[in-house]
Parts: sequence; C-alpha cells; structure tokens
Amino acid sequence: MKSLSSAALLFCALSLGSLAPAQEIPTYAPLPPAPADASTLPRIVLVSMGGTIASRGAPRSNVTNYGGGVLPRVEPIDWVNAMPELNGVARITVDDQRAPLNRASGTETHEDFHRVSKRLNELAADPTVDGMVVTHGTNTLSEVAYYMTLTVKTNKPIVYVGSQRPWSAMSGDGPRNLYDAFRVAASKDAWGKGVLHSTNNLITPARDVDKTSAYRTHTFKGVDVGAIGFADPDRIVFQRDVVRRHTVNSEFAGQDYPTVPAVEIFYGYREAPGYFIDAAVEHGVKGLIIDGVGAGGATLSQQAAIKRAQEKGVVVVMTARTYGGRVQDTPRRREAKMVPGDNLHPEKARVLLQLALTKTTDLAEIQRIFSEY
Amino acid sequence: MISSPFFPPRRLASAALALLACLAANAAFADLPKVKLFTTGGTIQSKGIHRQQHMEYDASKVSPDELVADLPEMKEFADISYLEISNVGSPSVNTEIQLKLAKAINEWLAQPDSAGAVVTHGTATLEETAYFLNLVVNSDKPVVVVGAMRPFTGVSRDGPFNLMNAVRVAAAPNAVGHGVMILLNDEINAARDTTKGNTNRMDTFVARDVGPLGYADSDQIVFYRKQITRHTKKSEFDVSGLTALPRVDIVYTHQEADRVAIDAFVAAGAKGVILTGRSDAATKDGQAKGVVFVMSDRKGSGRVLESTRMVDRQIITSDNIDPHKARILLRLALTKTSDPKEIQRIFTEY
Repeated sequence: MKSLSSAALLFCALSLGSLAPAQEIPTYAPLPPAPADASTLPRIVLVSMGGTIASRGAPRSNVTNYGGGVLPRVEPIDWVNAMPELNGVARITVDDQRAPLNRASGTETHEDFHRVSKRLNELAADPTVDGMVVTHGTNTLSEVAYYMTLTVKTNKPIVYVGSQRPWSAMSGDGPRNLYDAFRVAASKDAWGKGVLHSTNNLITPARDVDKTSAYRTHTFKGVDVGAIGFADPDRIVFQRDVVRRHTVNSEFAGQDYPTVPAVEIFYGYREAPGYFIDAAVEHGVKGLIIDGVGAGGATLSQQAAIKRAQEKGVVVVMTARTYGGRVQDTPRRREAKMVPGDNLHPEKARVLLQLALTKTTDLAEIQRIFSEY
Repeated sequence: MISSPFFPPRRLASAALALLACLAANAAFADLPKVKLFTTGGTIQSKGIHRQQHMEYDASKVSPDELVADLPEMKEFADISYLEISNVGSPSVNTEIQLKLAKAINEWLAQPDSAGAVVTHGTATLEETAYFLNLVVNSDKPVVVVGAMRPFTGVSRDGPFNLMNAVRVAAAPNAVGHGVMILLNDEINAARDTTKGNTNRMDTFVARDVGPLGYADSDQIVFYRKQITRHTKKSEFDVSGLTALPRVDIVYTHQEADRVAIDAFVAAGAKGVILTGRSDAATKDGQAKGVVFVMSDRKGSGRVLESTRMVDRQIITSDNIDPHKARILLRLALTKTSDPKEIQRIFTEY
C-alpha cells in the first residue's frame, strides 16, 4: 500500500514535470543580462553535500515531509540548468560529494567530514579554482562548516549554503540563497575570511553561525556576534573581519584526520545524572563536553562522574546551554580542571576538542586552543 | 539604612580608601597603562533624590572627582587621570562640546605614553558622539564611550561596572585599532553600528545588523570581530582647524508627508538634508540651491541600496548608517566637498 502510493506520487511528479518547471523558479520573467565577457569570471566549484536544497517535495506546498527517496534528488548540474544566470556570476564546475546512500545531514559520519575536507583541500590547492560553494542540509550545517574552517588550508572563499524549503517548494528559499552564495564566493572581499555561511542575505562565519529555528527561513544567525556582511541586491558588502584563527591560520588545516578521538556531549539540567558519563568513559571516550546550566554548571552527580573521568585521563570542556555568552576562565574551573569552551556551542566544542585531542592532551594547551579558535 | 534618602558616600569612601591602599601598593610596582577619562555628563553622572528614583534624576551632578573616588577599582587596571569637558545630559551635547572633546582626545592620544581614552556620556545621543569621534580621532589607541541607564544614586546602578569595564578595554592591548567603541552591559560595540534600542533597559545598545565586536568579561577582554569600514587613524577627516560644522537636518517620513519640512530646512540654511523617504520635487529644488541630500531609513536595520534611481537623482545612499549618524558623516563630508559622487564614496567607505 505504502509503496503503491509512493509510486503514484512519483508518477504524478514526473508527469507534472513535463508540464511545469521542476522548481518554483519563475519562467515568465526573463533572465538577468549576461556579463559582456564571461571568460574573466572567477572559477567556482559547486560542491554538493546534499541537503534540503537538493531535495524535491510534492505537492509544492509541502515543506516538511519531502525527500525520503520518493522523488528524484536534485543532481548538482540540475541547479545550474534550472538557474543559468549562475553562469553570469562564475565559471562553474560541479562536484558531487553527497554521502553514500544520500544520508541526510544529521546522519553523516566523520568519514564524510574527512572525505569532503580532503576534497576541499584539493580544490583549494588547484590554481584553476577561485572559490567553492558547498550545499549542505541545514540541521548540522554549522558544525560541518566549522570543521572545514579548522581543517581546510586556503585563503579562497568557501561558502556553505542551504535552504529551509525543498528546491521545488513554493516560495523556496534555495534558489536565491544559492545565487547569493555564488555572488559571495565570487567576491574578492570574501578572500581570507574563512569558511562562510550565506542564507537569507546574511554572510556569517562558520564559527559563529547557528540554526536557531526549525522551519523559518531566517534560521541562520550568529547568536553572540552576528553577520559580517550582506549579500544585498546592489552588491556584496563586508563590514567585519574575523579575529579568531581559521583556515590558512589554523594549526589543524591541510592535514588528514581519517579518525578522531571520541568526544561526547552531556546536557546540563536539574538532577542530570553522572552515570551517563561513567558509561561513556567505560565505552572509551577521550573527551567530554558538558553543556552546563547557566554560565557552565554541572550537577553534583555529574561533577563526581567528571572527576572519575578525569582520573582516567579524559579531557573535559564546559559549554553553556544558554546558547549565548562565554564560559569564562575562573579559578574554580581551573581547580576542577575544566577547560572553558568560550562561546562555542557544544557541537562545535566537540569538533574542536576532537581535533585538539589529535595533537595533545595537555590541558593548558587545549585551553589555548579554545581561546584562539 | 532604608530610610536614608542618599547613597552613604562617607561609608563608601572609607571602604574605598581601604581598597585604594592595597591597590596603591600594587600600582607602585606595576607600570600601568595610562588612561584618561573625559567626562561630559549624563545619567552616569546624575543623582536622584532617593535611591529608587530611576527617572527624572536631576537633583545634582556628579563631578569627575566624585566619579573617580567612587570607583577605586579602575586603578587596578590603569593609571587614571581625567579632564572635564562638560557636565550635561546628552540631548545638550552640541557641536562645540563634540569639537572640544575630539581635540582634547587627540591631544591626549598623541602623547607617546598614553594608552587610551574613556568618555562618559549620556546614553540618549551617546552613539552620535561616539560615531563623530570614530571619524575624527587620529589614533589607533582605544577610545571607549561609556554611559549608564541608571543614575549614580540608584540601587542596582549599572554605571560603576560599565565604567570599570570601559577602563579595562581602554587599557587593553588587544583593543588597539578597533576604532571608537561603546561599552555598556559587558558588550564592546562599534560606534558605527550601534544604536540605543530601548528606552529603559540596561541592554539598550545593540548593533542590529552586525552585532558586537567582543565582550568585557571578567576573565578577559575578548574580541571576535574587526571593523572593515574606515575609522580613526584611517579616516580622512580632521577637526583640528574647525570651530563649527555645516548645518545638516533630518526629515522623518510618514504617510502623507509633504515637502514643508524640507523647504523649511533649506530656507533655514541647511547645507545638507538626511531623508528617510523620497520627496522628488523638494529635493530637486534644494539641489538647485546646492543642498546635498542623503537617503537613510527609519527602520534601524539594513542597508539603503545604491539603486540606479538614487544615482540618477544624485541622492546619496547611506548604506546601513541610520539618519542621526548619517547627519554626522554628512556634516564632516561637507567640510571637504559638495560633490555627490565624492560624498557617495565617503558613505560607502565609512
């Protein structure tokens, strides 16, 4: 019954496809004028890591229950074919880096990070490449982009983009986000700013951007420190530089991490028990992120378990579940051998600690890393 | 205690003295950065008639002496001196005070052994003075403009913590080159991008488009962002020879707004007008008399786009500079040129 209805839906969509455009891009309005000389445009690689932006749904008003293998996925070249005006922004090549079996963004593994980081490093080293636009599902986009800003050694723009609504959706945000991402990647001013994120006209560094709403199209924001520029209709504008280390200045960049140490996150809440932590340590984790209450606090039960973990050499980083503000370096925290996670959200602190643990287990050194990245 | 209408200054002073004594011992050994306070007044220097008075607190003013004596902790971070520029609420800050302030700061920062400057200011127009300084201070050394939302005499007053943090930032080596900063509520904000966004709350200063530059946290002064737009040392503006600035007025737009206000400003001798909505006929007539028009916006967020329509009409677009700051920039721009192309360049770069 289920497969029958799926097949019917697919048939409907495919037959509709021959009558109507494959996505909600207006065909009744002309394309923007092409540049006089396209041969001088920057060369940008469109790397697909999939995502909602690479998904189709039906009917077109369905913005919550798309994908799932019912309708065909958007192949990287489909974006360019659907919006030929992208060729007026850059000379484009496409590079399919979707996870095998089209794993969605929440189900990717380190293997995928490793593979794509390696590929972005290769593209960055290629003198015929001037920049990269990378699509990704929005759920984990920010932590993937943060991994890349730590591990890809380049000055060239890398712009992560996604959408909240499928490529084919009514009022889909994907087409304009993608167009703007290309404009950002083609901008000379985007060089040296690390891996960027661009949706909803905003340009925000990977370190500071987070998904803040489940469905709204203005979901991506920097909670503490905001956007550094805008993809506005008249031009791409940057108003800020990034102070923290990234890409070309990252000590982790340009190297290969086939595996990283296991680091797990423990949420803080009233009566949060320590036995989760004991279980993780028994399982072999090398690092813990405690996403503590308030400015970074753990329950008594968690504190006892943390002490037991530290005795076995496990490194503990404290972040704050408030999702804004820094966990500060305090005497009490030093005494408890807790590394303050600065204002990194726990999933990003996890990425940084995993990379840090490939180099050192020295707490002072890890603390330095957390205050520099 | 509760019945006592005034802050007990004597009791505080004796506590301060004890603290000072131990701090002085430290200071004697440390070569602390030299920070000068330039006081202009405002809520941070205002007293109410009782400690729960959080409005209409105009019983008396706090002198710079009293302000410094109230906060001995400043001396832990810097070698403090001060200069009184004025002692007025910020609506009364005028061009004369701004020029006097800018010249005094430039003189101080030109001294090789100075580290930074802190300006106390009322919050209502704080961002205007801060942006003015951002354009005319000729130094990379930190300048921090600070205020308070609650008076000197108020319970839970925010002034002391703000002032202490302002001094910490002004003395911080990593604050060099960040332009003029605004500090309230632990946040280090850029003068250009920050506006007072709430009439009463202590988290009033917000940079709606681009957020703060960093934080004055207890463990450290931390920066995450650096401005790209031109400021301070890289600014082309120079007030050393100026005693006045050209008149520039602001026109607020609304449904059914007509040309009356624009005509009146032009007739009053305005050299420039900041618009927040189009008024083509009045603009054209004003331009014929040499008046320069800049289009800003009343929303308080987002850029005014440089559209062909504006370029055709020789109306300068203000980027994401709000009307009251566009006025400051246009006044300074008009000391150099009245060429719309050149002024557009200025609005794009600052």
